[in-house]
Amino acid sequence: MSLFRQLDELLRGEKTVPGSLSENRVDLPLKTFVSLAIVLGGVYGFFMGWYAVLNREPVEYTQVLASVIKLPALFLLTLIITFPSLYVFNALVGCRMTFIGTLRLLVGAIVVNVTVAASLGPILAFFTLCTASYPFMVVLNVALLSVSGFVALGFLLHTLRRIVVRQPIVNSDPIESFAAADSPEFEKVSSRAPGALEQVSRDDREFGPANVVFKIWILLYGLVGAQMGWVLRPFIGAPDLPFQWFRERQGNFFLSVIKHLQDLFGSG
Amino acid sequence: MVDALLHVDRFLRGSDDFHPAAKVRRPWWWLPLMILCFAAIYGGFMGSFHFVSIERTRQVLYSAIKVPMLLFATTILCMPGFVVLNTLLGLRDDLGESLQAILASLAGLSIVLASLAPVTRFWYFSTSNYRGALLFNAGVFAFATLAGHMLATRYYRVLIARHRYHRIAQYAWVVTYAFVGIQMGWTLRPFVGSPDMPTSFLRDEPVSNAYIVIMRLIFGG
Repeated sequence: MSLFRQLDELLRGEKTVPGSLSENRVDLPLKTFVSLAIVLGGVYGFFMGWYAVLNREPVEYTQVLASVIKLPALFLLTLIITFPSLYVFNALVGCRMTFIGTLRLLVGAIVVNVTVAASLGPILAFFTLCTASYPFMVVLNVALLSVSGFVALGFLLHTLRRIVVRQPIVNSDPIESFAAADSPEFEKVSSRAPGALEQVSRDDREFGPANVVFKIWILLYGLVGAQMGWVLRPFIGAPDLPFQWFRERQGNFFLSVIKHLQDLFGSG
Repeated sequence: MVDALLHVDRFLRGSDDFHPAAKVRRPWWWLPLMILCFAAIYGGFMGSFHFVSIERTRQVLYSAIKVPMLLFATTILCMPGFVVLNTLLGLRDDLGESLQAILASLAGLSIVLASLAPVTRFWYFSTSNYRGALLFNAGVFAFATLAGHMLATRYYRVLIARHRYHRIAQYAWVVTYAFVGIQMGWTLRPFVGSPDMPTSFLRDEPVSNAYIVIMRLIFGG
């Protein structure tokens, strides 16, 4: 149960309250959060794998198992591949975050990513039950995972700013606070801790080169992640192909998504 | 009965215990109950299109069950994502009030639907065109959704004044709810009941994807 309490604290932003963070102290124990990433990634993978079960003759359940394993693997393997370069470049530009601190922060972002994805799982499950079209399922999955990816991205960048800035919380505009003072809700406003996705400072200049490195790294992570997804495929399982753990290595992710979009809008 | 309708009146006006910023505790089941009753009323009228025999009473009954089912099932599917998003945006403390705003939008939608039920029935009287009836119902639902959204905005205004991120949560909810709701409506059809087909709870054909059907209609193929 403590696993879920930790997750809840992460989502509420209690783990990343400005001021409690510093370059070498990020309170996200790796063991707990890696297991959370595996469990929640597995939940989304579970919903993802059902399409193949429902649309293949004869019924084969191995795809569900494969997706449950592959989805968390996708995120964690991408991290393993891209993390060393991030760390080296961070050190080069003089960011004081420690190795373990950076790693914890990134695992936290992955947990946020898979949690949002898993929470969209029921919607995916419903559409899996209703849909026979393979291109639609591919596009829907890409869309859901993109949404969760962008939320995680927001989490990562905002948390990074909190680490770099380390100043007392400026909760809202002076004007907003002034207006709020008139309402009976005022006490609630001032006592509220900022959420995990909340911006604590509006000035971009204070963040320095570490921020630029992170942004470039995120691009790298996205590209490697997309291609990793392609290497690890099938996740959904095309109904006309037999089950395989891995497909042969050809093509790439982006070409495939474009092709599925064309299929979806072209011939339906 | 009168007492219950007075509650509905206060809800529509947003006064007393239904005031968006009301501190009064009222039973949580008021809003779900309103959705259940009023959506069922409209469902009954909706299913009365081809009401020619006793056999067809079943369509009335089915639709009366299915319209509330449509609203509640969509809500349940969209809820986990909504809760996680609210938590991440730091709005978890207001979750109760956010849920109240969402239920209020659905209750508003149901009440507006029910209030338009006589108009729908009148439309059915005037025409026996099935496609026309479908389109008319689509229009009624679109209108009621808009009204529900306005009601939700009344509640959300208080929340947004407290924290501007509530606006993001509200829009995220509207988008996901519409996306899932359209498919749910398609899955649970028939609501009106085609005169050419026998009465049934669900269509006796494999489930299909509404968006694929729409795209086929537009792009052919």
